[in-house]
Amino acid sequence: MLRFLVRRSLGAVVILLIISALTFFLFYSIPRDPALLACGKNCSPEALEVVRRNMGIDKPVPVQYWEYMVGVFAGRDFAVGPCPAPCLGYSFVDNTPVWKTILDRFPTTVSLAAGAAVVFLTVGLGAGMLAAARRGTLVDKVFSAGSLVVSSLQIYFIGPLAIALFVYQLGWLSQPEYVNLTEDPAGWFAGLLLPWFVLSMIFTANYTRMARSTMIEQLQEDHVRTARAKGMSRPFVFFRYAWRGSLIPIVTIFGVDMGSLFGGAMITEFTFTLPGLGRLAVQSVLNTDLPMLMGVMLFAATAIILCNVLVDAAYAFIDPRVRLS
Amino acid sequence: MNRNLARRGRAAAVALAAGALVLTACSDGGGGGGGGEKGGTEEAEQQGLVQFAGAEESQGPAEDVEGAKPGGTIRVFQRDSYAHLDPAQIYVSDEGSLASLIHRRLTTVKMDNDGEYSVVGDLATDSGERSDDGRTWTYTLKDGIKFEDGSPITSKDIRHTFERQFADFITEGPSYVQSWLAGKTEYRDLLPGGPYKGDHLPDSVLETPDDKTVVFHFKKPQNDLPYALGMPGYGVVPAGSKDTRQKYDKDPLATGPYKIESFKSGKSMTLVRNTEWDPETDPARHQYPDKFEITFNHQNDDSSKRLLSDTGENQFATSFNNAVDAGTIPQVMGDAEAEKRTISGYQTYVAAFAINMDRIKDHDVRLAIAHALPIKSILAPYGGAAGGELAGGLISPLLPGYEKGYDPFGKLKKPGGDPEKAKQLLEKAGKVGMKLSFPFRNATEEQQGSVAIADALEKAGFDVQRKELPADTYYDLIGKVDNKYDLYRSNWGHDWVSSSTVIPPQFDGRRIEDGGNNYSHVKDDRINSEIDRISAIADPEKAAPEWFELNKYIVEEVTPMVPAYYYKHMQISGSKIGGMVYNNDLSGIDPTKLYVKQ
Repeated sequence: MLRFLVRRSLGAVVILLIISALTFFLFYSIPRDPALLACGKNCSPEALEVVRRNMGIDKPVPVQYWEYMVGVFAGRDFAVGPCPAPCLGYSFVDNTPVWKTILDRFPTTVSLAAGAAVVFLTVGLGAGMLAAARRGTLVDKVFSAGSLVVSSLQIYFIGPLAIALFVYQLGWLSQPEYVNLTEDPAGWFAGLLLPWFVLSMIFTANYTRMARSTMIEQLQEDHVRTARAKGMSRPFVFFRYAWRGSLIPIVTIFGVDMGSLFGGAMITEFTFTLPGLGRLAVQSVLNTDLPMLMGVMLFAATAIILCNVLVDAAYAFIDPRVRLS
Repeated sequence: MNRNLARRGRAAAVALAAGALVLTACSDGGGGGGGGEKGGTEEAEQQGLVQFAGAEESQGPAEDVEGAKPGGTIRVFQRDSYAHLDPAQIYVSDEGSLASLIHRRLTTVKMDNDGEYSVVGDLATDSGERSDDGRTWTYTLKDGIKFEDGSPITSKDIRHTFERQFADFITEGPSYVQSWLAGKTEYRDLLPGGPYKGDHLPDSVLETPDDKTVVFHFKKPQNDLPYALGMPGYGVVPAGSKDTRQKYDKDPLATGPYKIESFKSGKSMTLVRNTEWDPETDPARHQYPDKFEITFNHQNDDSSKRLLSDTGENQFATSFNNAVDAGTIPQVMGDAEAEKRTISGYQTYVAAFAINMDRIKDHDVRLAIAHALPIKSILAPYGGAAGGELAGGLISPLLPGYEKGYDPFGKLKKPGGDPEKAKQLLEKAGKVGMKLSFPFRNATEEQQGSVAIADALEKAGFDVQRKELPADTYYDLIGKVDNKYDLYRSNWGHDWVSSSTVIPPQFDGRRIEDGGNNYSHVKDDRINSEIDRISAIADPEKAAPEWFELNKYIVEEVTPMVPAYYYKHMQISGSKIGGMVYNNDLSGIDPTKLYVKQ
């Protein structure tokens, strides 16, 4: 297990280095100058040079990249103050520390992702298993057709509709917003309820379809049939053997989904005006804000890699036949 | 725009073209306008001169807003977070609105309850004492003015405020006063690095003979100084260790009626009462609500829908800068109750199309373009009449000297364009079928407008080559002197209520350079000499009609640019918000007059 984790961690570092280099050098291939953004209304060539120097983008790109990576591991000093490791720099746009901003936005994204996961796992897996257990019946057909319809919808379509209906028209739900969980748990729950359900709708449909198909596959396995032949009850076999066996592909996809969601659910965050990492990523691109963009990219990549490692580790617990090596 | 895009001034235009306000001419004021709960400025009211006021008008407190009572919290939905809080870095309109609550400067533009505007002394006792033909200006500070920590504001702080404008890290605010003090555009070598190494501007430039007196000495007459000093970018910053240089941008000391309790960049800001602010010293501001709770990331459509719904806490909400989006305007206009909660007025910007005079040298061809352009179709994607008013000239209705009804090409009567007249002119020039390179931004509104423009020009006999450009690099591309384009949109807004901030930047033939603002590359001796002559006129009232006459000459006789429309702006608030007044100086709602209805 330890060897496995060490090897995966080293691999993750290599992947992150590649991502950081790609992001950094691709950024400078864009025909945009971040200094122009920060140079006032009547920007003169002299003022533009001053801004470039202040931003540290007057140096060759490889030198900038080297200094950036040194900062990540050893920290750096900026005019606005010291930046201890892991230093992801200061935003070009508002001079805030990137790391601090990411940490500030992460709870929103985690709250959104975790809440939605609870909903789509509960509803999606439940509906999928029920459809598998009642294969060929009306329940199966309704769930299968329903999941197909729902998975065809888009968040940017159902999100505003849901707000218009449940918030503005009926007044049943609160205006979507993020309130700190520790400050106001009830406000946190009420503010995220609608985003959770809208975000989870798409995932629920996918997990319903996936759970149904894997369960049907498992129910046709020899060991399941053997268990039934030995006289075990249908529910016992269903949950003890078939359900457990169907989890591996679901956990794999769940790990990838959660990694992506922790990196930011951009469309959902935009639709519901939630200040999460996804929104931050898009803003940093629009603002030509390299430090913020690098920070969010690295953070999101780390989240995805970490989730994948956890998934791999989880295999051993789900299926004793799997051995980590 | 916009703090999202290209060079800040250009970003403004980019964002405006996309239907959103980013940058305004921060200290511009407009004559008249505003006033009243219902809001809604009338064109006639907005014309006129903003007078420099004396000591009496500069005294506090500001006259009460009818029906206003202190107390309550106002929620504010904003699109963009505040990139800067250091006044010296403030130029954009959303930060300008915030600055009206937290930062004070030597002068400010005051709007009274009748909607009349004047430049009054803010920290100073009056709008300034002019001498030596405008080369010297003297200001005396009021008693009782303090920073939020209770320390008094002295002339030492004012000196420091202007000296730190020369520091390398101050790059985004206005540069007028620095350039005037230095006597040249590249001003930084007058005090390299600013005052932080112990150096100061000589008394021959900036003098502070005692704790209360500040004297500016300029090389040339600067008759617009009271206007310029009213820009938020010249808000006072304390001398000494309280000026934390770059860090000050995140944690400034307030001098206005509110101070910052908390700020999470990109998320939220809370403003609370500044107990050290003395209303007796302030002729322009109020302190009605207990708090402003500002949240960011609200696009115009989001804030419009929230405020239009008037549900729950949305009743107690407004936006300082978000406009009602074009898609929601019909709903608002069709709802009498909602319409009562709106205000609207002109913004500083004039939308126009520059013609590259390096490439199109024949005046008849330029006139043909002017007659052909369908300005009604250009405005339509921005909400039609709610988003702007069709323009005949390049001078905004907010500026003194503006002549209503000026329409040299008959475009107000034929807003869809006059292809027959255009074709005649093109035939006269012998250029029927000439290729016309027409770039536009890849923003929805411009994409829609570009189709109508191309169609109208084709009907007139041009062979139009449409080129879609990225919105965020658009102004960089058209700003190159050797660009290969013929016709391109460029918007411009004044910095204060004088056409001196409109005509010279755009049409001075001695300022053609990469990244410059003379997008049409016009080089005309008469324009240049008139710019010099009118700039030297000390009396703004006399200068104003002269600028408008020069505007006529430019539009009719040279035609480097075709005016399209004057930007307008509609805003909406919740039903529990009182004191909604459109302030031309802020190009939007006046935050200092807002209160919560009890």
